[in-house]
Amino acid sequence: MKKMLRSTYFRITVLAVVIAGAVSLGFILRSADNSETILTEKSPSTIELPVDRAVIPSLPAPDDATKAVPVFGNWKNFTTKDGLPSDKCYCVRVIEGKVYVGTHDGLAVYDNGKWKTYTSKDGLAHNGVVSVDYSPITGDIWIGTLGGLTKWSGGKFEVFNQFNSGMPNDLVYMVICDGKDVWCTTGGGAGHYDTFTKKWEIFTEMNAPMHEPWTYGVSAGDGKIFIAAWGGGVIEYNTKTKQFRDYVDPDGFMEIDLQPDDGVVHDITTATSWSEGILWVSSYFGMSRYDGKYWKGYFKEDSGLASNFINFLRAEGHVAYMCTDNGFSSTNGTNWVTYKKNENDANGVAVVTIGGVKKEIPQSPSISHNFIIGVDGQDDVMWVATSKGVSRGEKLKL
Amino acid sequence: MRKLIFITGIITVFLILVFIPGKKWARGHVNYITAVDDHPLICINCHLYNSNSHLISKIVNRDYLSPINIAVSNDGKKLYVTAQDADKLFVIDVAEEKILNKIDVGHKPYGVIIDRPEKYAYVTNQWSDNVTVIDLAEMKVVDTLSTGNGPAGLSFSSDGSVLYVVNSYSNDLTVIDLAEGVEIKRLNTGNNPTGIQLSPNGKDLYITARRAIIVPYGEPMATELTLVDDESQRLRSFLPVESAYLMENIAFSPSGDLAFVTLIRPKNLLPTLQVERGWMMNHGFGVIEQNGDGRIIQLLIDEPQAYYPDPFDIVITKDGKKAFISSSGVNMISVIDIDSVRNLIAESTPEMLSLWANHLGVSSRYVMKRIPTGANPKGLTLSPDGKYLYVAEHLNDKIGIISTETLTRTGEINLSTSERVTVLRRGRQLLNNAGRTFQNQYSCYTCHPDEHEDGLVYNMASKDMGRNVTNTQSLREIGDTPPFKWNGKNQTVYKQDGMRFSTVLTRTEQFPYNDLDAISSYIMRGNPYPPNLQFNPDGILNEVQLRGKKIFERTKDNFGREIPVNNRCVTCHPAPYYTNRQPFDVSTLAVSDDSIVFDTPHLNNIYASPPYLHDGRAHTLEEIWTRYGRDDKHGVTGDMTKIELNEMIEYLKSLRGPAYESSKINIQNASMNH
Repeated sequence: MKKMLRSTYFRITVLAVVIAGAVSLGFILRSADNSETILTEKSPSTIELPVDRAVIPSLPAPDDATKAVPVFGNWKNFTTKDGLPSDKCYCVRVIEGKVYVGTHDGLAVYDNGKWKTYTSKDGLAHNGVVSVDYSPITGDIWIGTLGGLTKWSGGKFEVFNQFNSGMPNDLVYMVICDGKDVWCTTGGGAGHYDTFTKKWEIFTEMNAPMHEPWTYGVSAGDGKIFIAAWGGGVIEYNTKTKQFRDYVDPDGFMEIDLQPDDGVVHDITTATSWSEGILWVSSYFGMSRYDGKYWKGYFKEDSGLASNFINFLRAEGHVAYMCTDNGFSSTNGTNWVTYKKNENDANGVAVVTIGGVKKEIPQSPSISHNFIIGVDGQDDVMWVATSKGVSRGEKLKL
Repeated sequence: MRKLIFITGIITVFLILVFIPGKKWARGHVNYITAVDDHPLICINCHLYNSNSHLISKIVNRDYLSPINIAVSNDGKKLYVTAQDADKLFVIDVAEEKILNKIDVGHKPYGVIIDRPEKYAYVTNQWSDNVTVIDLAEMKVVDTLSTGNGPAGLSFSSDGSVLYVVNSYSNDLTVIDLAEGVEIKRLNTGNNPTGIQLSPNGKDLYITARRAIIVPYGEPMATELTLVDDESQRLRSFLPVESAYLMENIAFSPSGDLAFVTLIRPKNLLPTLQVERGWMMNHGFGVIEQNGDGRIIQLLIDEPQAYYPDPFDIVITKDGKKAFISSSGVNMISVIDIDSVRNLIAESTPEMLSLWANHLGVSSRYVMKRIPTGANPKGLTLSPDGKYLYVAEHLNDKIGIISTETLTRTGEINLSTSERVTVLRRGRQLLNNAGRTFQNQYSCYTCHPDEHEDGLVYNMASKDMGRNVTNTQSLREIGDTPPFKWNGKNQTVYKQDGMRFSTVLTRTEQFPYNDLDAISSYIMRGNPYPPNLQFNPDGILNEVQLRGKKIFERTKDNFGREIPVNNRCVTCHPAPYYTNRQPFDVSTLAVSDDSIVFDTPHLNNIYASPPYLHDGRAHTLEEIWTRYGRDDKHGVTGDMTKIELNEMIEYLKSLRGPAYESSKINIQNASMNH
């Protein structure tokens, strides 16, 4: 027996079993943690924030960690009672003093304290309006709908669809203007329309590094277009070289992000936004931040993020705003502000997380609903599109 | 002597033997070509003037100038005239009535404008996609500014820092920062815009359009005026002008309360039988009220049994009393008493105004006079003192001078040294003149502006009303694409424009044969396609177009199956005209169509001819296959991905006129080099 215990082979075997057990336990715990993220919801007050990844020695801390994340309050909520055509709001965009809200039943425009609705009867391609953007050069408004793309120019609606133009598909998820180009992501690929030459160019898995043609989000910055592609991570298109490169989750696992900070957290991405040299990427499994050299992942479990299920995100300046299925979050990469509405009343809370320390600010009323799908702001005012109307918040002086 | 008589006899017999059957053959040939049996047997009428030979063409034709627009210097001493067919800007000394300079500009110059300090002239080159900048002190070209496709009208911003250029082919407005000399933005306009005018208060630019918004046949038509805010350089709005099109130019009253736009009111939904009752096409002007809610009132310049077709330009005297409209189709200037127009509007209810828009009798209230001019008056300008009206007599190569006091043509400035009118020129004058239509209701130009097409669908009624609804076809370079008509019923242009033309369309005496020969020659040989600078500027296809070409010429579908020869694109649409001139059924027959097959159309410059299919049901090229070609009978496309369809359409849009595909490539190069 003693001989056996002294045997080198035995020692190696025991060591191997211990290591294997530890690794397995790690997997099990991690997996349980992840499933809980999706299936259950914890009160923010009960979350124990693990080690802040910003202080992991191998990764540099975001250089904007010291920049403030604004806190918004004094929410005013607008629903069908106030003049919206539907409470199901898909997007919101603030353009030169007017607020454009895409809803299930048309486009609502808030101007001088009044809502006005535009529908397919007025010339919209479809009543389901999911995205709005505008060209600051021409002032044209571009409207992405569930049945095509609409240009609103000089008071006139012009419809582009897959039947009458080179548009990739009628199911438009997002539209943006980038100089003279208009980009849209659709259920049948991404495409851009050159407003000078009137030409469409479309990209699918046949001519771009996409997993499939389903594309959700698109943003522009630094001479590049960033497409959030279903199963394809982020597709980057250089507008000068016309070359693609893709960013996918290097660990290749769909269920978990096995290796943190190795790349985009998941191949199924929902939105991208580029601002001040940072690319922010949302997914249904967490959020990623890319500074051109390093990726960093953020999850509900280890940050102030409201939920890992992120419908949309938009970055303005050094702050990214995330629209999740369970609240609205904003971050500069280190500090967080997350807004949630109480389940049983109109009030809620803004949870400010700075250096792992949380502070709750009661809000009355709160945002209209915790299912958030669109956000935009201008001049210290923030608008969020929810499943129960849109909410308008003002920047608080704290 | 006997020998001589014998030889002469042999020759005579031989000639008789050849002449009699030869003449019989010639008679049959001419009868076939003209579809009549009494057309003179003069071979040169067709075989000389319709010749494809460069040499023969050079001998029998000559170059013309075709002045189209005029600007005048601040002191009124100089005129600046764009000579469209000479690619030059003419500088004219008014007092001496002589040409001071002929400055080379780009291809097909259209508009000209002089800046306030009178340092530079800017000339739009419609076939070069740019603006030539001319230093007026040095009288030389100092810069060339890029624009969109087909630049036409142009205007300065109120502060003079920006040049607005209307792009007539690409349907947009180029905004050029004059300090930098670059295009800073491009705004949408109506369809086929040409004219532009800054309002007297300097706030708004009004842009006219010629083609209507494409709508399904049966729906009322409208053409858009585009309003641009000068300060923000953004679109303010589109003003649909209902039941009107071909709005070529616009002018403001000096007080700025009214804008006047030339227009035509086509009755394309009526069967063309209407022509013999009059009132098929009406010509007039729109009055856009600048105060109030911006009403647009339409009034006609036509009279009962006398029409004044193809109004092109309009100018208003400084005192705001008179407006002059060039009625290009009848070689007239119509003089409008603006106070009478104001009175009529003031005393009329909205219902009455709606009635006046179609009323032939009301023009006697405000049309003061008709002043005859030389052939095809186009651009107008008034002398700074308002005493003279200068008229660009487009097909007369002269500048007509009209006294605004006596309202008579008091003189002319001849731009050309020759008065010779060739057969092709005669044909062009006929095409642009309404003299052969019942009551002068319209000219060929009316439905075929610039020898192209007007984008409308007409009910070409024959004996059965409401049948055979057809989209107007272009007349450009159709000489080698017989047969004609959508169903290929007319084997030649002579037949199309001869008896049939007078029976169905003009409803009056048919053209005398010498005129028929001239207009047929012009249609067959006289009007080339504009260069396709938008989609194929240098004749070198890009990668997308090359892939599209491969798809167009493919013999197997995406599944590797052989495509039947008759169902391949290239079988029916081979270069250089992209038609095999054969009838074919592509399964787009309408229940109202008599024919069962279609004449395969040519595809040169097809991008410029929406809507598509014989009855215009496809509003875009895409719709030919996404909406109407799903059964794969109009070529096999059902297996294509959207990318492949887009690539094939990009290739189709790249197709140019046949001349550019052959020895006349220098035409396009000439455009490129400016």
